[in-house]
Amino acid sequence: MIHDSLIRERLVTGDKTAADVTRDISRPILNQPSSAWKIGFTLSLIFLGIFGVSLFWTVWTGIGVWNINKSVMWGWDITNFVFWVGIGHAGTLISAVLLLFRQKWRMSINRSAEAMTIFAVVCAAMFPVFHMGRVWVGYWALPLPNSFGSLWVNFNSPLLWDVFAISTYFSVSLLFWYIGMIPDIATIRDKVKTKTAKFWYNFFSMGWTGSTRSWARYELVSLILAGISTPLVLSVHTIVSADFATSVIPGWHTTIFPPYFVAGAIFSGFGMVATLLVVARKVMNYENYITIGHLEAMTKIIMVTGTLVGIAYLTEFFIAWYSINEYEQYAFINRATGPYWWAYWSMMSCNLLAPQVFWFKWARTTPWFIFTMSIVVNVGMWFERFVIIVTSLHRDYLPSSWVMYSGSLTEVGLFLGTFGIFFTCFFLFAKFLPVINMSEVKTILRNRE
Amino acid sequence: MGLVDKKLSLRNRNKMLVGVWEDEDALLSATQAVVDKGIHIHDIFTPYPVHGLERIMGVKRSRLARVAFLCGLTGLSLMFLMVWYMYVKDWPVNVGNKPVRFSPSWIPVMFEGTILCTAYGMGIIFFLRNRMLHGIKNDLLDDRQTDDRMIMTIETCEGMDEQGLINLMKEKGAVETREFHNGIQTVI
Repeated sequence: MIHDSLIRERLVTGDKTAADVTRDISRPILNQPSSAWKIGFTLSLIFLGIFGVSLFWTVWTGIGVWNINKSVMWGWDITNFVFWVGIGHAGTLISAVLLLFRQKWRMSINRSAEAMTIFAVVCAAMFPVFHMGRVWVGYWALPLPNSFGSLWVNFNSPLLWDVFAISTYFSVSLLFWYIGMIPDIATIRDKVKTKTAKFWYNFFSMGWTGSTRSWARYELVSLILAGISTPLVLSVHTIVSADFATSVIPGWHTTIFPPYFVAGAIFSGFGMVATLLVVARKVMNYENYITIGHLEAMTKIIMVTGTLVGIAYLTEFFIAWYSINEYEQYAFINRATGPYWWAYWSMMSCNLLAPQVFWFKWARTTPWFIFTMSIVVNVGMWFERFVIIVTSLHRDYLPSSWVMYSGSLTEVGLFLGTFGIFFTCFFLFAKFLPVINMSEVKTILRNRE
Repeated sequence: MGLVDKKLSLRNRNKMLVGVWEDEDALLSATQAVVDKGIHIHDIFTPYPVHGLERIMGVKRSRLARVAFLCGLTGLSLMFLMVWYMYVKDWPVNVGNKPVRFSPSWIPVMFEGTILCTAYGMGIIFFLRNRMLHGIKNDLLDDRQTDDRMIMTIETCEGMDEQGLINLMKEKGAVETREFHNGIQTVI
């Protein structure tokens, strides 16, 4: 039986009507951009410029401008790749897994989280693509007929699985995002005044009228897409972890990697969603839609997944000792006490210890504190990937190959530059598309059960 | 039955009665009342999915799930064939003298292909069935039907008590009733 809930906290506050939702959410699209938007967008463009310069220098000179070497052949680039892919995963988790679990609080945040997925995957893809060195022959990674004696790609390699996994993930996430947005694009289409805007919103709304038949199919398609996106997101990060786990490098060759990477991805992704939404709800006046309740729910997930990755760190350590394999044992002792100890302990404190503060209600419900913690989480997760990659590579089986590694200016520029790509895309998204799923939010205005 | 759901177009139709609601509970009860009178509702346009409407209207469950399954099966088979052709038929590679045949390392690529075909195959059929195409002209009855208004359309036929139906709509909370004929709407 459907009835108005008396005890459950409202997901949308401020007694909003459907017309209020349309007006509030479409305001940034229909009006001139605010000064906060202009400042943010300009800053993003500066970072995008840094990316352009760093990328130009990399391609023009070759990847010798990075500090990677024959021992540490993966440095900042693959660290950044895994960092961005991980961030992307929270979008799919929010829209797909929470949809399957019928968690209605996802409705205010799924649109921006899905957008984040798409932009993060674009940022991630930059690194392996340009790490290839001769990027103009990047299509060799695809199984295409060729004149090299039918030289096909290697299907036994997780790096090739990655090509398939990341491209499928990007394509399916894009479709899921777009189909979910069509009814809202139609709403904007019927509100905009200028001819150009009308043309484009009409073009992308694909003639949507909101027929009951269309809605029935739309909901079924959303459910199926959620159903297939869930194993997809698990497979993508499992495959990313297999890039490491299928090797014979001490510290990488562990079976715990897939679940540990997936938990880490959710953790860092929610960190980034919190970073974006704490700011967006304030700047765009969406406090009635993204309430403290939403932030609290996200912090709980951050705490659980942070603890999960913490357990994974400790399990790795234990198994290294238990294995009686001196190389494995050395790799872990070296992580914690070797020359990169600072990276290891940054990772431990940011990812395992810091999120424990969310046991306290004050921490879960104070936006500025959640924002600060979300940055801590993101820093910690970057360090996690740095620790896994660099500490395992810089001292290999042969002591004569031992080296130290630190990113060059170009590598740092590329990493900072991807924030330019990410935020430029996000600001454009916030200006031209509805950041909150209007049609879904309208279904929860009455707080029904 | 063709692939495109022709009912979604409002062109070349008999005269239609149009009722406008602003409250979903009132709309649900009005729909039930109209259906109880044995009248076929052509369609209801809502700015968000109103759960229960399709059941009252007697909209059949979509078969898109089956389409998705078939697309997935196609993707799986195509990917298997691709890997088999490249690895076994065209250029077998001797890796440690292992037999050249299916191995678990084929699974990730086959899995990703399955998901991709399921999503895009189902997506394309969804667009076609829903008469959705980039830039297609939409048949809107009200500027606010994608905002906060819900529109019920009933196609008239001979012997239908139109006035009785309009009265029923008003009684059940319709904020406006109209007549739609040859692309022109008149408030009644």
